[in-house]
Amino acid sequence: MAEPPRLELRGLRKAFGAVRVTHDVDLALRAGEVHALIGPNGAGKTTLISQIGGELMPDGGRILLDGHDITRLPAHRRAAAGLARSFQISQIYPEFDVEDNVAMAVQALAPGGLNMWRGARHDARLRTPARAALERVGLAARRQVRAGELAHGEKRQLELAMALALGTSTLLLDEPMAGMSIEESRRMAALLAGLKGRYSILLVEHDMDVVFALADRVTVLVYGEAICTGTPEEVRADARVRAAYLGDG
Amino acid sequence: MAAGRKFWLNLAGLAVFVLVPAVAGLADKPFLVSLFTRFAVYAIAAVSLDLVLGYGALVSFGHAAFFALGGYVVGIVAFHTADGSGLLGWAGTQQALILWPLAIAVCALAGLVIGFLSLRTSGVQFIMITLAFAQMVYFLLVGLMVYGGDDGLAIAQRNTLPGIDLGHPVVYYYLCVALLAAWVFLCRRIVGSRFGMALRSLKQNRRRSIALGLAPLRYQLTAFVVSAAGAGLAGVLWANYALFVSPDMTTWQKSGELMAMVILGGIGSIFGPVLGAIAFIGLEQMLTGWTEHWMLLMGPALVLVVLFGRRGLYGLLVPERDHG
Repeated sequence: MAEPPRLELRGLRKAFGAVRVTHDVDLALRAGEVHALIGPNGAGKTTLISQIGGELMPDGGRILLDGHDITRLPAHRRAAAGLARSFQISQIYPEFDVEDNVAMAVQALAPGGLNMWRGARHDARLRTPARAALERVGLAARRQVRAGELAHGEKRQLELAMALALGTSTLLLDEPMAGMSIEESRRMAALLAGLKGRYSILLVEHDMDVVFALADRVTVLVYGEAICTGTPEEVRADARVRAAYLGDG
Repeated sequence: MAAGRKFWLNLAGLAVFVLVPAVAGLADKPFLVSLFTRFAVYAIAAVSLDLVLGYGALVSFGHAAFFALGGYVVGIVAFHTADGSGLLGWAGTQQALILWPLAIAVCALAGLVIGFLSLRTSGVQFIMITLAFAQMVYFLLVGLMVYGGDDGLAIAQRNTLPGIDLGHPVVYYYLCVALLAAWVFLCRRIVGSRFGMALRSLKQNRRRSIALGLAPLRYQLTAFVVSAAGAGLAGVLWANYALFVSPDMTTWQKSGELMAMVILGGIGSIFGPVLGAIAFIGLEQMLTGWTEHWMLLMGPALVLVVLFGRRGLYGLLVPERDHG
């Protein structure tokens, strides 16, 4: 690959006491790919995502985003560095309406955050991109509903809209289909497929059908260790993976 | 429909404030002007507190400190100006146009320092640390014997404005009402702005806001400073109204009263705390007429409002959700 990876982990380590939750993990997210991170429960997927997002500080190793070291960058500055994320449990603003939620994502990286005078709720510079993002995830019709009143699946869609509205090209999606109905996750998968190529996506997902249909490459995490990275076919054929994961999954 | 109702309610409130001197004159009850001046002054402080309490979920239990500081700047400068001693080489002034912005700036600066230190904590610790700072200010003022210590400091006359006679009760009252209206308007702009949305987002889901790239301290500290400045303005107006300042202005009871006004009127609505200040002081006035144990009756009234309308008195009058 001529192009450098969008996101790169080099020898990342993290331990809680004696438990090594991230064990020398190397991972490269290539530009434009969907890279799935899979592993049995307790493999350390969310811990790894939290370190990339900046909520947890690794004990050692490096995290590079577009070639820049962001290992020690505070969480709130990683969005500006080019990283958008969604959470395993929807993190939305329940009292805002749906459009306000997305407008917050639009304004977060825009200048004028300390503007106290101009009304934000009728500001086309926020509202137009917010509506566009809602359109993309299929929530446009619900834009005036209070976000706390959305159905579970809709909240997941809203999370994705907020990540898209941030305007970064690297997405960290932690189980975007968690808890969704079959129909909802089928639609979400189609949505993610539509993002392929334009975004570089690191995707944590449990649903193997989705992973193998969507991902360009897959990394398997077992007990904090990245035991295998490759195309879905390669991973499926890997003996260690079958032993550690697919066998008992 | 509901927006219309809100508009008319606010207009009616303003009309009541405007008509008070006329009614007081007709009914020959001059104390009404004095009472409504107190309403307006405390409403400014309560609205300021609502900015951090209602929109930032920052439970400041020390806002009386800023109220007192604003008042004491007026009192101390008046003290030195009157006896000709001057203050750090400055002869002092009675000009409101100089003194009041100075007092507000002092409160904003105090808010910056106290807020910066307090915002390292959150939740109960934030409540306790803001309370601790207010207590520090209290004991500082008690210890300043030259300014009366415990007994407080009397002020000879109101500050002056060119062309306006602040010594006249009705004139002074209208000035307070105008400042209240301007402050309410400004605060409504603030909570509806990008800044206000960011502050409210941090209240609802700090984790999400950080992931989106917002630095919490930047927004919460700014709100704290603006709020402190507003409370300081109320202190300035109180010192000029009562012509007296004392450490009582910064007791924890005073901070609690401000909080009670916000909760009684409707937290997170800006308009509500105005109603809350009126209801609280009005009730206090009425009940103290009957018994000195007026808190025995005020307590249950507060409990009832909190139980039956989480959005306070204003929420009972405007049932629709306020989206600001």
